[in-house]
Amino acid sequence: METSSPAAFVNAEILNMFVGRRVRTVVQVQRNEGGMVVGQSPDGHPLTIKSAMDIPVSHFMEVFGIAENNQTIRAEVCTDFGPSFGEI
Amino acid sequence: MYGGGGHYDGGDGAANANSLFGGGGFVPSQSTAAPESSGGGSGFSKASDDKSNFAINGVEVSTVRLVGRMLGKVERVTDVVFTLDDGTGKIDVNRWQNESSDSKEMADVNDGNYVIVNGGLKGLQGKRHVIAYSVRRVTNFNEITHHFLHCIQVHLDLTRPKPCLPSQINASTPTPGHANQAWPPNNQATTFSASGNTAGNDVSSLVMSVFHDPAIIEREDGITVPYIMDRLKLPEHVIKDVIKKQEDEGNIYNTIDDFHYRSAMNG
Repeated sequence: METSSPAAFVNAEILNMFVGRRVRTVVQVQRNEGGMVVGQSPDGHPLTIKSAMDIPVSHFMEVFGIAENNQTIRAEVCTDFGPSFGEI
Repeated sequence: MYGGGGHYDGGDGAANANSLFGGGGFVPSQSTAAPESSGGGSGFSKASDDKSNFAINGVEVSTVRLVGRMLGKVERVTDVVFTLDDGTGKIDVNRWQNESSDSKEMADVNDGNYVIVNGGLKGLQGKRHVIAYSVRRVTNFNEITHHFLHCIQVHLDLTRPKPCLPSQINASTPTPGHANQAWPPNNQATTFSASGNTAGNDVSSLVMSVFHDPAIIEREDGITVPYIMDRLKLPEHVIKDVIKKQEDEGNIYNTIDDFHYRSAMNG
């Protein structure tokens, strides 16, 4: 069992605590800008995801990556969670 | 669901965050497959000299459930091996291919897919791995969130001290820590053992977990046996046996016809 690169669950508010570290979160895609995705974080703030895959607007996207600053994540892995996520 | 700050104690940030999952949340021994996170390694210890059993938070664990991404899938003649990465760590998984249904199940999942793995936790030469009896692809991604919440809930349940009534203290068998009083209330309570009698309780808990899926529990018509077969990839007669038992105990009931069932715990 390997636990060398765990990713912390983050939202926009606590992303600044993990700059330079591996993080994970789910954003709702608001716009795609050529390899860069701008999405809404779980706590309602805009986050920029670099090197993100092309996922349709309004879909939810899970991203694993390195936090570059308090608003940007450089993605390593992205997963399309579809248009309905977290809804009851 | 997104109370991000609520996951952590704050303070040290990443170290605390990782240790939260490092404890590994699970319900061992008494109910369903213990929900686990791969990063639960720091909480593991050997339950005994038996290499097949581990103890986490002082409680013996045999069957676990993990949710993560499949990586490095290799199909061999008699089995399929892959690594499961759930974001807290990675663990090797082995799925033996005994029947055509096993092969069909594994053909449905590929590298990069999120999967739910149910299986036995084993150790060999100090390295832990999982011998899976079920690997299915995640189709509703809320299952990932639900799994981690379940891990956290069970971990806290097992590690927080509970008030003990005098009668419980007198009647309880001495066990390490608070394990004996820390069991979450569960009508499937049955002790797991390595003798193989746990299979029925595993299946029963799996079937009931389908009924209690947040996406299912609101369905007024309920669900059918074929639906459960498709979800769990289990034989019809196994599921029908569980359905009959649960219906006799009053845990599920028929809805629109004799083929649709709904949990009595539908709120």
